[in-house]
Amino acid sequence: MGLEQFKNRNVGQQEYVLLDVGHSPKTGMDQFKQVVRRTFKGELFVGLWVTMREMINALFKGQMHTVKYPFEKLPISPRYRAIHEMLRLLESGHYRCIGCGLCEKICISNCITMDTRYDENQRKEVSEYTINFGRCIFCGYCAEVCPELAIVHGPRYETASEQRASFSLFEDMLTPIDKLNLQQEYDGFGAVTPYADENIKKTPLAY
Amino acid sequence: MGNVHNSMNTGKPITVTIDGKVCKSTFGKTILEIARENDIYIPTMCYLTKVQPIASCRMCVVNVDGVDGMILSCQEKAVDGAVVTTNNHELYQERQNIMKLYNVNHPLECGVCDKSGECDLQNKTMEFNVDQQTFTARDQHRPVENWGHVSYDPALCIMCEKCVRVSTEITGDEALKVKFGGYSSEIINVKQEKNYASLGEAAAVCPVGALVQTHFKYTANAWEMTKIPSACPHCGGGCQMYYEVRNDRIYRITNEFEFSNLCGAGRFGFDYANEGVTKDAEAFAKAVEAFKKADSLLFSSQISNEEALILQKLKEKLGFKLVSHEASAYQKFMASYAKITGKHLYGGDLKRLSSSQGIIVLGSRINNDSPTVKYHINMASKWHQARVIYMHPMADSEIQNIVTQFIKYEVGSEEGAAALLAHTLLEDAALTKTLRASLDDLDIGNLSAESNIGEEELALLKKSLQKKHGFSLVVGSDLYMHPRAEQIAKWIALLEEYAGFNVICIPPAGNAMGISLICDLDAQTEGYTVGYNAPGDFVLSALGGGDLDMPALNQQEGTLTTVDKRVVPMNVARSYGGYILNDIANALGLKAEYTIDYTVQLPEEKGFSSIEFDALPDYFDAVGTEHRGYLLSAHKVPVDRTLDEVEELEAYDGAVIYRCDPVDQFSPFTAKSPLLKDEAVLSASPQFATATKLEDGDIITFEVDGVRFERVFKIDTSMKGTVALNPTFDMGLSASSLSSYRFSRLVFQKANNEKIGNDNE
Repeated sequence: MGLEQFKNRNVGQQEYVLLDVGHSPKTGMDQFKQVVRRTFKGELFVGLWVTMREMINALFKGQMHTVKYPFEKLPISPRYRAIHEMLRLLESGHYRCIGCGLCEKICISNCITMDTRYDENQRKEVSEYTINFGRCIFCGYCAEVCPELAIVHGPRYETASEQRASFSLFEDMLTPIDKLNLQQEYDGFGAVTPYADENIKKTPLAY
Repeated sequence: MGNVHNSMNTGKPITVTIDGKVCKSTFGKTILEIARENDIYIPTMCYLTKVQPIASCRMCVVNVDGVDGMILSCQEKAVDGAVVTTNNHELYQERQNIMKLYNVNHPLECGVCDKSGECDLQNKTMEFNVDQQTFTARDQHRPVENWGHVSYDPALCIMCEKCVRVSTEITGDEALKVKFGGYSSEIINVKQEKNYASLGEAAAVCPVGALVQTHFKYTANAWEMTKIPSACPHCGGGCQMYYEVRNDRIYRITNEFEFSNLCGAGRFGFDYANEGVTKDAEAFAKAVEAFKKADSLLFSSQISNEEALILQKLKEKLGFKLVSHEASAYQKFMASYAKITGKHLYGGDLKRLSSSQGIIVLGSRINNDSPTVKYHINMASKWHQARVIYMHPMADSEIQNIVTQFIKYEVGSEEGAAALLAHTLLEDAALTKTLRASLDDLDIGNLSAESNIGEEELALLKKSLQKKHGFSLVVGSDLYMHPRAEQIAKWIALLEEYAGFNVICIPPAGNAMGISLICDLDAQTEGYTVGYNAPGDFVLSALGGGDLDMPALNQQEGTLTTVDKRVVPMNVARSYGGYILNDIANALGLKAEYTIDYTVQLPEEKGFSSIEFDALPDYFDAVGTEHRGYLLSAHKVPVDRTLDEVEELEAYDGAVIYRCDPVDQFSPFTAKSPLLKDEAVLSASPQFATATKLEDGDIITFEVDGVRFERVFKIDTSMKGTVALNPTFDMGLSASSLSSYRFSRLVFQKANNEKIGNDNE
C-alpha cells in the first residue's frame, strides 16, 4: 500500500452505510410512551427466567454449584504442597516416622527440629518433632526425602492461625488414630511410582 | 607415628613404586603405610593404624609385580624396588565382592542406625557400587546385647575385630573377645566391671553400628552435631577428643581413634558444665573485693594454663599467697629432679614408653592414676613383650596381665625403694665420684629390710632387663607428696641421667604440670583465703554452689599441659553466661579481652612457646603424627648433684588408707558426670577387715588433713594386704585441701562413736 492512500483525507468519497437506528422520540409524550413500553415488555422476564431456572435446579433438583467454603472445599491436586501431615502405618496404627532425621537435615529453611531417644523396646522413638511454619517455605524436600512416606504435604492450605504453634507439633500433624481409615495415601513428591513393584529385583536365595 | 608397634623398622632406605609413583621410605614399613605416607589411597575395612594389622577384611589387596596372586598391603612389608599396583579391574572385582559379602543380611536400617553418615560399610558399599546382592546366607536371630555403656548388635557386626584389638593392645583389660563360629561368630564381653575404657574405645573404632554408646543410641545423627576439637582435662593426659554438640548439649565424645586413645573418664565424663549461670554483678563485686583483701588463694588443678597465669599475675600484683597442694608438691619434686638432670623437665615421653622393652612403675597405682600412661605400658607389653616391673605397696589385680614382676615395698619406704632401684641399675654406670660414693654408702641390707624389698627381687629385676633395650621408668604421685620427695626425685633423676631411662613423672592431677611451671606456689594458706574450686572464705566454683560461679573446663578455651610435655588447646563446648576469672583480673587492673590472650604470654623460660592460641595446630596427619599444640622445650638449669643419706623410715603399722580414686574417676568434675556412676566406698581386703574389726557395710568416719570423711566400708576380695583405698572424687571442693602423703594411718570412728584403730601418732 502506497503512502499516498494515507494522505488522502477526502473521507466523503468512501462508501459509508447509515444504519437504521430508529427514531428518537421528539416530544415529551413520545418519551413517556417509550419508557412505559420498555418497562412492561416481556424481555425482562426472559432474563429473570434463567435465574429462576437455576434456582429451581439448585434448590429442588440438587444441582447446587456453590461451594460452601469453609464448610466445603474443592479437592486439591495431590502435588500441592500445603501444611504437613504425619501418616500412620495402616496395619498397626503406629506412626511411620522412624526418626532418621533426613527431613531435619534436608530442610533448607531449618524449620524442622526433632529429638529422638532409645525406647524400652530398643526402637528409635521420636520424642519431639516440630516444624516452625513461620519459617517453612513449603518446598517439599522433607516429603521427598522421607524414606517411609511418613511426612507428607496434606491438602490443608489455610495457614492463617491465631498462633504459629497451632500446627507445628507432631501430634497435631499426625493422623488421628480414630480417623486412620480415612488416611489417604500420598501421591506427591517422594511417593512410589505406580510400577514400583515390577522394578524390584529380588535377592536370589541359595537355601 | 603416634604409636610404635613395628619393631622391625630398621631404617634402611628403600624405594617402592606404587601406581607409578616412586616412593622413598625405610625398610620395615608395610606397603599400606608407605602408600598413606605418599597420599595413595588403598581402601581398608579392618585396618586400624594404632594397633597391629588385623588382616581380617582383605580389602587392602594389591598386586606386586613378579608375585602371584594378591598381597595384603596392610601386613606385607615393602621390599626395595617393588612395583605395586593398588587398583585394576581384578582388584576392583575382589573388593566389590568383599563388600557384597559384608552386606549379606546386614539389616537395612541405616535410617535409624547411629553410625549412618560415618559408617565405613555405607561408604565402601557406595564406593564399590554394590547395587545388587548375589550372595546369600540363612539369617539367624541375633538379639541386641546391652553391655552397660555400650550396646552390641551382632546383626550389624562385620567381625573386623578392631574392638578386640583395642581392648587387648591399647586399654589392656582384654574385656572383648571373639567367639568363633563361622557365620555365627560374634564379639563377647568377658569383663563385666571396670570395662568403661575398653567399651568406649571399642565403640569408637567400630566401623559399623554394632557397638554404640548406649547413652547416645538413637538420640542424634552423626551429621547433626558440631565437632568441637579439644583435650580431655581430667587427668594430666590431655588426650585428644571432640565434643559432639548440638543445641548446646554434648551428645557424645569422639576422638581421632585411628591414632589416639581415650579412657572411660574422657569418653563418658563430659557432662559437668556449670549450667544456667547468669551475670551476678553483686557477687562479682564481692569477688573483686575478696581478691583485694585476700591473704592467700587456694586452687585445684582443674584449671587451664591461662587461668594459672592470670592467678600468677594477680599474685604478683596483689601479693597474696598462691597455694595448690598437688601442683606445689610436683613443682618441688621436679625442681629437685632438675638438679641432677640439669633440665627443668623430665626426659621421657609416651612414644618411647610404648616402644620400651623394660618398664618400671614406681609410686603410682598406674591403672587408676593415669590411664593413658597405662595404655602405653600395655602397648609396650603387647608389641615388644616388655618386662613390666610394678613397684607399689599394693598389688593391683587390674594390671596383673601386663605386670611381669611385682615388687611390694612397705608404705612410706619410697625413698628406700628409689635408692635401691638406683643402686641396682647404676652399678655399671659412669657416675661422678661423689655420686658413686653416695651410692656405695647406702646400707643395702638395712634399706632392703626396712622397705621389705628382697635383694633377690632386685637381682631378678636386673637380670630380667638384661638383653633388653629401651627402658622406661614411670613415677607417680605417691612420691611427690612424700615427706622426702626431694630426695626421691634425685634418685629417680639419676636413672634418667646416667642409665638412659625414659623417665615420666606423671602429673598428680589435672593440669598440675602446667600450674607447676607457671605459678610460683606457696606452701600453706593463711588468713583470708579465696578458694578457686577449693574451699575458702570466698569460693569461686565451677561446680556451682560457690560464692561466684566459674565456667567448667568444657566451657572455656585455653591450653592444658599434658604428661607428654605438650601444650594442647581446648575449645568451648558449652555456653556459659557468667563471669570468668579474666573478668575479675580485668577488674583488678590486668588487661586482656579474652583469657586466651594470655596464651602467648605463657613463660618461655619454663619451656612454653610464644604462640597465639588461634595459631595452635590441632590435628593428626595421614600417618598419625601428632600436631597438637606444641611440645614444651626443656631448658637448662644449674645442677647440684649431691645426695642426702636415706632417712630412717617412719613406720606405717596397722591399718593404712591410700588416697586413690576408682578407675575413671579423677576429680569432683568426673564425679559430677552422671554417666560415670561410681560408689565412693572405703574398699579393702578381708585381711584389712579382720585387722580393723570392720564388717562389710559398716559406716566409719575419719579425718585426713582436716578433711572429714564418712565412708561405707566394703570388702573387696580381689585386694590383699592392710591398705584400704579411700576415694576423694566425691569430696567436692574439699578434695583440694588434701596435702599430705597419699598413705595415712586410719584412725576412725564407727557410726556408734566407738574409737578404734591405731592412734599412736
